[in-house]
Amino acid sequence: MKDLPLVAVIQFPGSNCEYETARVVEVSGMECRIFRWNQLQPLRDASPDAFVLPGGFSFQDRVRAGAVAAKENLMDLVVEGASGGRPVLGICNGAQVLVESGLVPGWEPGRIEAALAANHVSGRSGYLSTWVFVRVRNGAGIGNPWLSALGGSPVPIPIAHAEGRFVFRKQDAGRTRPVEALAYCSHAGEESGVYPLNPNGSFHNLAAVMNPEGNVLAMMPHPERAFHLWQLPPWIPGEWGDRRSAALSGGNLGTAPGPGSLFFRSLLEHFGGGAA
Amino acid sequence: MIGRTSGGTAIAVSLKAPDPAAVTARSTLARISPVCCPSVILRYDHWDFTGEGATEESVTGVVRHYTDIVNPNKQKWCFESELDAGNSEGGLLWVPVLVTDMVDSVSENWSNILGRSHPGLGPVRYSVLWRLGYDGSFSEQEAESMAMEVSVATHRRKGLLANPVSQEIRFLRRIGT
Repeated sequence: MKDLPLVAVIQFPGSNCEYETARVVEVSGMECRIFRWNQLQPLRDASPDAFVLPGGFSFQDRVRAGAVAAKENLMDLVVEGASGGRPVLGICNGAQVLVESGLVPGWEPGRIEAALAANHVSGRSGYLSTWVFVRVRNGAGIGNPWLSALGGSPVPIPIAHAEGRFVFRKQDAGRTRPVEALAYCSHAGEESGVYPLNPNGSFHNLAAVMNPEGNVLAMMPHPERAFHLWQLPPWIPGEWGDRRSAALSGGNLGTAPGPGSLFFRSLLEHFGGGAA
Repeated sequence: MIGRTSGGTAIAVSLKAPDPAAVTARSTLARISPVCCPSVILRYDHWDFTGEGATEESVTGVVRHYTDIVNPNKQKWCFESELDAGNSEGGLLWVPVLVTDMVDSVSENWSNILGRSHPGLGPVRYSVLWRLGYDGSFSEQEAESMAMEVSVATHRRKGLLANPVSQEIRFLRRIGT
């Protein structure tokens, strides 16, 4: 019998965020194990309660970011888990894998219905590494295993990607609202399709998209890089900047949780833990 | 000869060493789509130079000047029309598939750069050219049908080379054995 929920972090050739992702899962109060892309039987035997596909450059982004990893046999188990309601999170390259797997937006599971295309917004293209603010789309966080602890306020979080622009087919543009999870915004919560508030030209300013059931979340920002409050840069404005300043003054900056921890706290609470 | 899709001059740029993306594409397709997987896959950067000034001579000048387009230390290039030279290799039937991002910063940026330095050049279009080599025993129709199957990624286990949500796929004129 498992005492703690087990989270599987999937390591593809070229993943490079698996260890810090596993670390924050453990610090959040869950068990975590890293499984390589070819460890099908160990993953099946472990029967994890949730899956995380971390950031990086799986298969060196050959052909197209996430495209090759999406077709790996191990993804069968992730698809199986997702269809059984288990939480699945894709971060950055992991999000690209989920989109190429057809798990997100998942109107017809397995069918590829979206793309994470090259960044392209007026005044900016190419790889972008910076801090942004995101907020949960109205209602998306309610009961969501990854978003429930975030509330409605904007949170600062880093992005680092060249292909993070959510694109949908024209005929699907009118039905995306229920799967819209996170949107880029200012520290005050204002949205704009203009750079830098929308850093990559993403449709509806989307930073994350989920499946209709909400258990699969593909997000471009890196929550593991904002897990601790000390990871925030000192110039971050708004509530989280104030928290950082207060923690610095109070001498507890080294132990205070950052906004990225909310994603993993949501998961812990989903499994019935973490309620103080 | 590969059919031209516009006026001007197009070039194909490839690695001198085997292309890792082509190797990975083939091994992936062999696993998910063994029946339709080509015997050989070659990958090229495809640059389509348009405009009155896009002659072979001026394009050669551009290629020699800008090592971001062709890095002579690791890449080789030829005019699109010269791809004929290797087409009968191994008696394969080649299906050329051109994949272009619908919104493409690379093309926009190079169009801006070259528009300033080479006033006679029109917009430049960057694509990836995949040449899928099928056994010569297949008919052209069969080869093209199989190429379509492996090129357009419609489902997790179906198609690889292009995501039709964000990319255009064009099948250039087929080449005989």
